[in-house]
Amino acid sequence: AAFPRPAGPAAQVEGQVGPPAPYSPSNCKPEFVRMTSFAVPNSQALKARWHLPYGAVVHPMALAGGPVAVANPTGGTIIRCKRCRTYMNPFMAWMDGGRRYSCNVCALVNEVPVEYYCALDASGRRLDHHERPELCGGSVEYIAPAEYMVRAPMPPTYVFVIDVSFAAASSGMLRAACAAIKSSLDSLPGDERTQVAFITFDNAIHFYNLKSTLSAPQMMVVAEIEDPFVPLPDDLLVNLKESRPLVDALLDSLPQSYGRASQVESAMGPALQAAFLVMNHIGGKLLLFQAAAPSLGIGRIKARDNPALYGTDREYSLRTPDDPFYKRFSAEASRFQICIDVFAFGSAYMDLPSLGALPKYTGGQLYYYPGFQAERDGAKLHAELSHNLSRETAWEAVMRIRCSKGLRISAFFGHFFIRSTDLLALPACDVDKSFSVEISHEETLLTGQVAYLQAALLYTNSDGERRIRVHTMALPVVSELIDLYKQSDAGATATLLGKLSVERSYSAKLDDVRSGIQQRLVAALREYRMLHMRGMGPGIGAPGMGSALSPNSLVLPERLKSLPLLTLGLAKTAALRGGGRDVSSDERTAVGHQMIACSVYDTLRLMYPSCYPVHELAGDWGKERPDVPGSVALPPAAPAGLEYFNPAGAYLVDNGRVLLLWVGQAAPPAFYQQVFGVQGPPQDVSGLSPEPVRQGSELSARINAVLRQLRGTKELWQECWVIRQGTPMEAHLMPYLVEDRGPAPGSLG
Amino acid sequence: MAEFAELEEIDGVRMTWNVWPQSRLEAAKCVIPFCALYTPAKQTSQLQVVEYDPVPCKTCGAVLNPYAAVDFAAKIWTCPFCHTRNHFPPHYAGISEASVPAELFPQYCTIEYSLPRMGALSPPSYVFVIDTCVAEDELLAAKTAVQQALTMVPEYAQVGLVTFGTHVHVHELGFSDCPKAYVFRGSKDYSAAQVQEQLGPHSQAAQRRGAGGPGSPLKAGTPGARPGNRFILPLSECEFAVNQALEELQRDAFPAVAASRPSRALGTAVAVAAALMGGCLPAGSGAGRLMLLVGGPCTEGAGKVVDKELTEPIRSHKDLAKDAAPYYRKAKKFYDAIAAQLVAQGHSMDLFACSLDQVGLSEMKACIEHTGGYVVQTDTFTNPIFKDSLRRMFTPAGEEGYLGLSSNATFEVHCSKDIKVCGVLGPASALEKKSPLVSDQVVGVGGTAAWKLCTLSAGTSLAVVYDIVAQHGGGGGDPMAAAAGQQFFLQFVTRYLHDSGAMRCRVTTITRRWVDGSSQGDLIQGFDQEAAAVLMGRVVSYKMEEEEDFDATRWLDRSLIRLCSRFGDYRKDDPDSFQLRPQLSYYPQFMFNFRRSQFIQVFGNSPDETAYARIMLNRESVGDAMLMIQPTLYAFTFNGPPEPVLLDVSSIAPDRILMLDAYFYVVVFHGSTVAQWRKAGYQEQPEHAAFKQLLQAPQDEAHTIIQRRFPTPRFTDCDQNGSQARFLLAKLNPSATYNTSSSMSSEIIMTDDVSLQVFTDHLKKLAVQS
Ligand SMILES: [Zn+2]
Ligand SMILES: [Zn+2]
Repeated sequence: AAFPRPAGPAAQVEGQVGPPAPYSPSNCKPEFVRMTSFAVPNSQALKARWHLPYGAVVHPMALAGGPVAVANPTGGTIIRCKRCRTYMNPFMAWMDGGRRYSCNVCALVNEVPVEYYCALDASGRRLDHHERPELCGGSVEYIAPAEYMVRAPMPPTYVFVIDVSFAAASSGMLRAACAAIKSSLDSLPGDERTQVAFITFDNAIHFYNLKSTLSAPQMMVVAEIEDPFVPLPDDLLVNLKESRPLVDALLDSLPQSYGRASQVESAMGPALQAAFLVMNHIGGKLLLFQAAAPSLGIGRIKARDNPALYGTDREYSLRTPDDPFYKRFSAEASRFQICIDVFAFGSAYMDLPSLGALPKYTGGQLYYYPGFQAERDGAKLHAELSHNLSRETAWEAVMRIRCSKGLRISAFFGHFFIRSTDLLALPACDVDKSFSVEISHEETLLTGQVAYLQAALLYTNSDGERRIRVHTMALPVVSELIDLYKQSDAGATATLLGKLSVERSYSAKLDDVRSGIQQRLVAALREYRMLHMRGMGPGIGAPGMGSALSPNSLVLPERLKSLPLLTLGLAKTAALRGGGRDVSSDERTAVGHQMIACSVYDTLRLMYPSCYPVHELAGDWGKERPDVPGSVALPPAAPAGLEYFNPAGAYLVDNGRVLLLWVGQAAPPAFYQQVFGVQGPPQDVSGLSPEPVRQGSELSARINAVLRQLRGTKELWQECWVIRQGTPMEAHLMPYLVEDRGPAPGSLG
Repeated sequence: MAEFAELEEIDGVRMTWNVWPQSRLEAAKCVIPFCALYTPAKQTSQLQVVEYDPVPCKTCGAVLNPYAAVDFAAKIWTCPFCHTRNHFPPHYAGISEASVPAELFPQYCTIEYSLPRMGALSPPSYVFVIDTCVAEDELLAAKTAVQQALTMVPEYAQVGLVTFGTHVHVHELGFSDCPKAYVFRGSKDYSAAQVQEQLGPHSQAAQRRGAGGPGSPLKAGTPGARPGNRFILPLSECEFAVNQALEELQRDAFPAVAASRPSRALGTAVAVAAALMGGCLPAGSGAGRLMLLVGGPCTEGAGKVVDKELTEPIRSHKDLAKDAAPYYRKAKKFYDAIAAQLVAQGHSMDLFACSLDQVGLSEMKACIEHTGGYVVQTDTFTNPIFKDSLRRMFTPAGEEGYLGLSSNATFEVHCSKDIKVCGVLGPASALEKKSPLVSDQVVGVGGTAAWKLCTLSAGTSLAVVYDIVAQHGGGGGDPMAAAAGQQFFLQFVTRYLHDSGAMRCRVTTITRRWVDGSSQGDLIQGFDQEAAAVLMGRVVSYKMEEEEDFDATRWLDRSLIRLCSRFGDYRKDDPDSFQLRPQLSYYPQFMFNFRRSQFIQVFGNSPDETAYARIMLNRESVGDAMLMIQPTLYAFTFNGPPEPVLLDVSSIAPDRILMLDAYFYVVVFHGSTVAQWRKAGYQEQPEHAAFKQLLQAPQDEAHTIIQRRFPTPRFTDCDQNGSQARFLLAKLNPSATYNTSSSMSSEIIMTDDVSLQVFTDHLKKLAVQS
């Protein structure tokens, strides 16, 4: 194991995959913006030798970034460069005694408005430097004045569109979804302003009149699915506070009403069109609960999945929407500030490549519960839906990323719709969404010493305030490749590589995508090796490598040492792994979908799982950390390879989507007793669960604490499956043990 | 006339001519068609009901009747219509001169058979179709009235609910979790199949079960317990749901643009409701009524009558005459198609139009008339006329106001040789029964010998028009006919679903005399001038609707002149010598009043009012129809009991109270002196008890009339010189107008109409012209 493992507790991996020290103390935190390298090559030629993707992962609402100061709490003027519209930031250069400033991004000299004027100190800084968050911090929020609004700020609006066909009732999805929604109603943001609507559908569309003066909800069925219409002009989208009793009554009665549903058809497309009509005057979040493949009306799904297309020029089409309806509808939804979250529950192919387009272009999220069974998967749905509904959400948002002259954004990755070349339209944006960009160089050399990147998110918060969140970062402009390596960020690099590889899989064969990853890595390493051989300066070798380089030995830049393992894992993720029979189209889509929008941390977990040994009570793992109250210490992670697992032990494998509790063949009966509360190893362990805590068992308590800690407050709630070594179930674990020699092509071996 | 009314009491038949010329040539000279006005469900006192099936003739299908020649020994009867010798069925083996079945009794020429029915009785079904494009208080009144009506509906009866505004809502009353409705786009034209498909497979299943037609045996089981029927349910199963739906029924929520009519998808609502009934109620299984409560005209979708813009007035007779009503033909065609569908399903449509404006009855007329439905017209849902009328529809047998509504009736006629059937004028639809009896000459609904009546009320009267085809008089060359004597026979066979749930078959067989027809004296003996007036009323109404540019006045005048010319006694070219026999003497006056009535003078009325009047004239019995043609006027004075007085302005006197019964409205009119006394309150004083009585008598009389009649007539209480007095004056003969120099009466009428005297003088002059 020559490579450091990019997995395990944060402290263990920070050095391997974390960002370098910031160039400026005024930079925004890396939680908000991470660069693949925190230095900017000064020319296209230099960047070409970097070989790895060059760009940023922007996570504008990241919770980990902590609270962001408000620059103009009284709603005062917002200062922006007249030419490039860059927001005031710590890097503006002041002149003329504070009457003018030079824009750090485009160098235009701007007049300072009278009301913003402040004298300068001896070093040329404004005297009020420390009082103004926009001058001393890289992240700031403005309260937007009226000119940033095209209409009054919208209230938080949630429209639930729920499949009530046979599959929805029989799987228990309907009951579980209704219960989860009901229990989340108190946590919906927006207080008195929040609006909700409910639409259910099978072969027809059902609307609910929730007018507060009614004694019970009124259900209206529109069977006109070829041309859906709204049966009422108002009262479908209602104020939650006012209509709460009706909403509660509806959620209580829905599972009952459709409990014996025999209708197998599912007119999802028409239901979406109906929801669009209900909410298009305001926008908001549309949460779609889809139990099986949509079978009726526009957007109905054909059984088009065909593994035989793998390896052909049409392979990519298996991963992209089939019916143009999906992209068209998403674009239209985006235009009307509608964000779509899709909760998909199908037990058979339900064409997530098509359904996935709905969240992809609207800032939404795709949740996938293959073969959902309420008894087993209800907790997951409950946790994820609750998290979705209660998290801080930015409404009717747009984001623009600006960078210094000579640089430009050449590609965007994430869930959004691009409006006017570089404006990301985000009907909703939440704490879990990140957006990544690739940065290209113009022809000319970068002249300055420092380059800048500024991401501005204009949105309405749940309290009805129009706000602008601005993250600014200064980056040194470098002319030597080694300086790029020195400022590189393996986590961000692997993440961006992952995102663009997934995006590429929508237009290329997986084989090509994987070999592309490998080629980039090999090219980068070759470049570095040449650099190394030329003996470019000190501190470029890996410790322990020695200076005498054998011809075949591998040299890695210190900060990118984990990259080979991460790229190996990337090629083994369900999004990119294998062929037509290895991963179902739906599963592939779901993982790819997650990868393209999630944080750096979550992306890394998908690439290289953390494997925590949980069989020995030694150490403090599973106990609350004294240094971080409320946080539980994790065991030191083992490498993700079966050969490293102790057959007498048990390992909790966190792959970012599920938690797999692997129990070695030689695990003692006591382990079963303590952790599962059963005698000896039973024939079938699939029904076992380490939860809840077994009375009197410390091991059980610690494992449960670890589970809690790992699940945390992430967008996806990880179910825990138990797998015993040597059983067929173990096959499910194998893809995640990326260090094992697998059949996956493209492994570095 | 009295004798004809007596005959009517027994058989429910009035005939324009009771003696017929057995010659096509002579018949053509009679001017007034040969017609029987028959009231098939007339409540007669001595009706004999027997509990077995009628015995039909094997050749012509006519039913065994008292006029059949019976050979008791051979157990053979000879059909009086086709002279076929029929064997009695085996269970008649016991009959003899001493033991005769009821249908052979001479006094039972009208007899009713109560037919054993296979399977369960089907309950009646009521589908309420309610307009929500009305003011809040109007909707509340409508809802309340329906809820009250529901308290009168028997528990086993089935109920459905459709509401409409911009869109049409079909309420799923079988859904218990919350109020639920299927919504249909108001602007869309749905086929019945589309509606049924959207309502789900359950209603289709019901339709398949019913597809066997009325003759197919119905599945046994609890009444109405068709599993899966979720929309039209026994009241006992959906009482809560229907009441909840009504209570929470909201006004149409789509905002109407200022200064425009609301978006009212009335036509689509009717189409959807009709399709719903077709899907849920097996055809012919029971009474089915689509009860439409409307507050204004259709402005949306198929059946649209007028644009939403208020600047666009709703069509008038003038617009119709000029073909300037852009939606009229299209809407009429649309409703005609629904009418045909309702008829095929055996369902009726009733209209409760509660609006100051017209609602488009003129366009919808076929839906009402072809199905035998009722129309109640009033200004608002808060008007007691609406509420009371709705209640009357549900008044059970044995209670006051009971309407005796039967359903699913088929009406069949048989007649002797030399007679053919031209058609029926009345609330009936053709059943396309081909028969040698059917004449090429069509009057009204013709081309068939059998008709369907979705609703049959006790007063429903059908005018059956006959054609005499005998080539020469005296029984022709047919020795059999000659042997049968100078008699001809007509038979009416009406099978219907009695509101008790039993299947009934009423058979009326009548006989009348042939004459050779050359002597007008023979014929005139049998002339029933009231029946003739009513028939002519129906014929003219029909022609006015069906024939373009039909000049009703001219046609009536020419008919009258020809009739008087043929049957009057006079010397040629000497008007003063002109005399009419008593059998014909009132007829010109009937025609005079009819010419002045709303039936002919349509321009003073809206097309909806005209349509309403015509529906009633085309349905009610001779007695009631006569009131429509020529109202009755009674005078109440201190000098004795009330007496009928001339329908003439001269009947007005200061010390008289007049009561006019014009069928559609009843007026009590106080002469000027009486009015003054009443104003002064004399009736309150004990010493003027007689005056109090005088005031009260016409009120009581009027209210007796109003309560008996359905739909409820309008009541006007007015004084001489008051503005409301016009309702009376419009009906009086203008013997004194501002045009006449001598005024015999205290009142003159501001009109250019000719008086009866002038009219009669003209008639005489023209009748005697050579
Ligand atoms: Zn600038
Ligand atoms: Zn016969």
